[in-house]
Amino acid sequence: MRPGRRQRWWLGASGLLGFLLLLELVPRAGLVPDRYLPPTSRIAGALADELGEPAFWRALGDTLQGWAVGLALAVGAGVGLGLLVGSVPALRAATSSTIEFLRPIPSVALIPLAVLLFGTDLRSKLLLVVYASFWQVLVQVVAGVRDVDPVAMDTAHSYGLGRWGRIRHVVWPTALPYAMTGFRLAAAVALILAITAELIIGSPGLGREIAVAQTSGAVPAMYALVVVAGLLGVGVNLAARALERQVLAWHPATRREAP
Amino acid sequence: MRRPLVALVAVALLGVVAGCGSDENEAPAASGGIKQVKVGVIPILDVAPIYLGKEKGFFSNRGIELTMETGQGGAAIVPGVVSGQFQFGFSNVTSLLIAQSRGLPLKVVSNGVASTSKDKADYSGVVTRDDSIRTAADLAGRRVAVNTLKNIGDSTIRASVRKAGGDPSSIKFVELAFPDMPAALEAKRVDAVWVVEPFLSATLSQGGRLVASNYVDTAPDLTVAVYFTSEQLTKSDPDLVRRFTEAMAESLAYADSHPDEARKVLATYTQIDEAVIPDLTLPKWPAEINRASVDTLATLAVQDGLVEKQPDLDALLP
Repeated sequence: MRPGRRQRWWLGASGLLGFLLLLELVPRAGLVPDRYLPPTSRIAGALADELGEPAFWRALGDTLQGWAVGLALAVGAGVGLGLLVGSVPALRAATSSTIEFLRPIPSVALIPLAVLLFGTDLRSKLLLVVYASFWQVLVQVVAGVRDVDPVAMDTAHSYGLGRWGRIRHVVWPTALPYAMTGFRLAAAVALILAITAELIIGSPGLGREIAVAQTSGAVPAMYALVVVAGLLGVGVNLAARALERQVLAWHPATRREAP
Repeated sequence: MRRPLVALVAVALLGVVAGCGSDENEAPAASGGIKQVKVGVIPILDVAPIYLGKEKGFFSNRGIELTMETGQGGAAIVPGVVSGQFQFGFSNVTSLLIAQSRGLPLKVVSNGVASTSKDKADYSGVVTRDDSIRTAADLAGRRVAVNTLKNIGDSTIRASVRKAGGDPSSIKFVELAFPDMPAALEAKRVDAVWVVEPFLSATLSQGGRLVASNYVDTAPDLTVAVYFTSEQLTKSDPDLVRRFTEAMAESLAYADSHPDEARKVLATYTQIDEAVIPDLTLPKWPAEINRASVDTLATLAVQDGLVEKQPDLDALLP
């Protein structure tokens, strides 16, 4: 496994290096004018400048705060409501068409509503982030609860487990892998929407800095901030995967302790 | 194994509590006579006076603690002001005329920015790289990029074309964001672009040629944009509106007479390259609104079909 892993690491790194090299060469060769697409080295220089600005770190903090709070709200609400809706068949039947109707509405379409209600502060951003990421979790958890083995449920019943015991020892372990998938998807969507909200509404954060750089014609600085947004996305995905692995590694252990 | 999720749920609940708890509806709360005022602006050259005025203390010495809220293209500004999230906002005149014609209760409180009134030396202009376009009249039948369709850009460009004796009805307007225009012009995706500073200097230095100063052709000393509030605030807190108007007048006059300081303040809220800042063409920042020019924009708005009936300027202007 080890050599395979190292090889993968190398492949990933060389892919990234190749991309950076291409980004350096394309503008230098004049295929794209460098004032619209600066070469990697100039973006790196602008990034270094940004890293020295306190405003940049404040913006990064604002973005991460909006992301984390929004994601936490979405996961909390999605797991809670998902367990409820999933375990009551009548409720599931009553809400499924509504969920399918609301789910595809793009969060961005709610921007005028968000501004009307909350102006440009954190709450507008949260509205968009929570709306977009909530459904990812909810739908997964509902599916997870539906996936519960009826035989296991009946067994738990005949062993005299109460409602709470059944949720905890039968429903939850089944739904957990689904919930973690929902969490991972939601984590990425939440970041996208946090930055979108900043970009369009002008809530404080990286997105707003990108918008300011853009309206100022500061192209290298804009790309530098876009790179930061991309790196954040990579970081979020890696963290979500690590958490998923950790949480699901415990999974078999739970089954052993089940009565 | 439940720990991480339990923790997440706990954080979520905390978030809910915090969200309800920190009720920051700090809409003008009088704390020792100081009022917190939020102004929705676009982070562009035009609003330098309000940043400079804040720096100079023109607002704080009138008991106004100013916060600027920046939105891209100002999508958030009018709804923000109408809903009371912002006390004041910055908008171009044509947008306000359209908003008023749709029944939004808005009231102009101060001038914002005006054209220099110098032909080919304004902070706004139509630029081309096409040798067959010599005057504004040649724009007829061509593709011209504006940042927002059915707004001040196309309205004033039509005025330029009309003045030069061309047929404005055949211009094909294309919507593009200002930052994207230099590239679109270079790639010949459009025949001409309407740009304002800093993109005007940028396109000109990249081989563009100035065809028309659309603001100058529209009216002498054109009032381009203004600061406004909701009718509700003019009734509920006329004193705050009066103090804001006074502070704005002082800021505008100061910025207009101290262009070097206005250029310097740009670096605090934009990312405009400091090397080009000294060469930008600054607009004029008169303290007074030029009523006649607003009349012209209103007439053009009716003529171009942006609004259905002649706007009621007495209701809109101070």
